Amino acid sequence: MIVFEDVTFSYEGSSRKALDGVSLRVEEGDFLGIIGPSGAGKSTLAYAAAGAIPHSLHGDFYGSVRVAGRDTFEVDLTELAHTVGAVFQDIDAQMVASVVEDELAFGLENFGIPRDEGLARIEKTLAQVGIADLRAREVSSLSGGQKQKVALAAVLALRPRALVLDEPTGELDPQSSRQVFELLRELNEQGVTVVVIEQKIMLLGEFARHLAVMDSGRLSFYGETPSVLSRADDLKRLGVNVPRVATFSLGLRAKSMGSGRLCTSLDEAEALVREVIGVGADALDGPVASCGNAARAVEALLSTEKEVVA
Amino acid sequence: MDGVLDYAPGTTIVHRLNPLVKIAFAFCVCVAAFLTESLPVLACLLAVGIAVGCAGGIPRRTVRLLATLVKVSIFLFVLQVLFIRSGTPVLLFVTDAGLRTATLVVMRLIVATMPLALMLALTPMNDLTNALVKIARLPYRYAFTLTTALRFIPVFAAEMRQIMEAQIARGVEFDTRNPLRKVSLVLPLCMPMLVGSVGRVQQSALAAEMRGFYLRGQDSGYRDYRFALADGAVLVLSVCLIAVGVVA
Repeated sequence: MIVFEDVTFSYEGSSRKALDGVSLRVEEGDFLGIIGPSGAGKSTLAYAAAGAIPHSLHGDFYGSVRVAGRDTFEVDLTELAHTVGAVFQDIDAQMVASVVEDELAFGLENFGIPRDEGLARIEKTLAQVGIADLRAREVSSLSGGQKQKVALAAVLALRPRALVLDEPTGELDPQSSRQVFELLRELNEQGVTVVVIEQKIMLLGEFARHLAVMDSGRLSFYGETPSVLSRADDLKRLGVNVPRVATFSLGLRAKSMGSGRLCTSLDEAEALVREVIGVGADALDGPVASCGNAARAVEALLSTEKEVVA
Repeated sequence: MDGVLDYAPGTTIVHRLNPLVKIAFAFCVCVAAFLTESLPVLACLLAVGIAVGCAGGIPRRTVRLLATLVKVSIFLFVLQVLFIRSGTPVLLFVTDAGLRTATLVVMRLIVATMPLALMLALTPMNDLTNALVKIARLPYRYAFTLTTALRFIPVFAAEMRQIMEAQIARGVEFDTRNPLRKVSLVLPLCMPMLVGSVGRVQQSALAAEMRGFYLRGQDSGYRDYRFALADGAVLVLSVCLIAVGVVA
C-alpha cells in the first residue's frame, strides 16, 4: 500500500536529514506502529506517506514513496486524499470549520458525496468515534482530546483505504486512547491500512501488527511487534521504553519460565502467569495461597499493571 | 475581542436568518452610521445593535462587546477633544465642537462595529462561507480565506494568552498596569507568534487540501440558503436604516 524506497529528505533551509535512506513497505491491511525518540523523523515519515512531502512541505527529496502503486511525486495531494486519510499533530490546524458537523461535512462535500449519503456517513462516523453528542458543538469550545476525535472522524468519514495518524491520542486520557485504538483495530479488520505514530508504547505493543523504530531519520528496526519488542535493550538505548508486560514476559523467558512467548497485552500476560504457576482460571479466582509466594508476587505485579492501565 | 467573535450556538430568529442577510444588515447599519450627522439617530442605531444581540440570545456578550468598544473609543475620544480647536471653549481647551465631533466619531465607530461583530458571533463560519459562494457566487477560495482568517483570531488570541501566562509564571510582569511597559513586554513575542501562525496556517491549508479543497465547486455545500419572510423583513429594515441615515 505504502512503499518507501531509500527516501532521504531535508527540510528547506536545513542541512539536517529528517529522513535518511528509509526503505519500508507497508502492506495493504497492515497495522503499523511507528515509535522513536523526539526528532527521529516520525512525523516527517507520516508527511511523506500522506504526500504532504513533496507537495506541501518542500525540501531536498531523494528516493521514492509510492502509495497504492503511484509515486507521490506524480499524483497531487487531492488525488492522494482519495486513498490516504491523514491527521497530523497540530490538532487546531487540522480544523477547517467552526462547527463539528461542518468539519465532517467539509471533505464529503468537496469529494462530491451525495447529500443523503454524506449526512448518513456523518452520523455513523460520529457514533463510531463516540462523539455523537458533539455534533452541533463549536470546535473552539472543545478540549484537545475532543478535537483529536473530531479530526479523526473527519478523515474516517471519507472512507480512506489507508490512515496515517501522527499521535492521534496525544491529548486523550488512557481510556479514550484505548477506545481510539480499538476503533483503529476494527477499521483495520475491515481492510483499512493503519499507520500510526504513537508514544504510548503499551497501546502500540497490543494493537500494531508491525513496529518500525525510527532514530535520527533512519529506520533502526522493523518487524512484527513481538520481535521488535523483544529487543528491549536496543530499544532502551534509543530511549524507547518497552511495555511492562513485555519486560515482564522477557524476564520470565530469561529464567526459562513459561512458554517463553512475548506478551504485548495484559490478557496475554495473565495467561502466561497462569501457565507459569500451573493453575487454571478457577484457581486464580479464589485465594492463591496454594500457589506460593512467587505466584502472589506475579499477581501483585499484574494488578499493579491493571491499575496503571485503568 | 477574544471570545466575542466565537460562534454562539442557538436557534433564535437571528440564528435562522440567511447569513447574507445578516451581513447585509450589518453593512447597512454601518453605512447609516457614517451617513448620519445626528447623535440621536446614532443612539437609535446603537439600540438596534443591542436589540440584535439580545434577540440572538447573547445579551451578556453584547454588553461585553460594547464595553470593549467603549474602552477602545476612549483613546480616540481624548485625541479628538485635544486636537479640535474650533467652536466655543467649554472648559480650558475643550470646545463644544470638539466634544460633539469626538462623540460623533466614537458613536460611529461603536455603531458600525457592533452589528458586524454580533452577526459573526451568530453565524457559523461555514454557513457564511457557503452562502457567500452559493448565493453571492464568490469564488470558494476567497470566501474560505476570509472565514479562516476570522476563525483563527480566537486561536491566536488563546495562544498569546498562554504564552503570557507562561511568562507570568516565570516572573515576567505581564500583569503590570503600566500600558507602555506591557507593550514593551508584548512586542518581542509578536514575531515568534507571527512565525508560528504562518506555520499553523500552512498546516491548516494542508489539512484542507487533503480533504479535497481544490475539488470544491460553487454548489458543493450540503445546505441551501433560501430566503424566508423574515429575511425580506430584515432587508426592508436595512434599507429603511440607510434612508434614515441619509435624511437625518
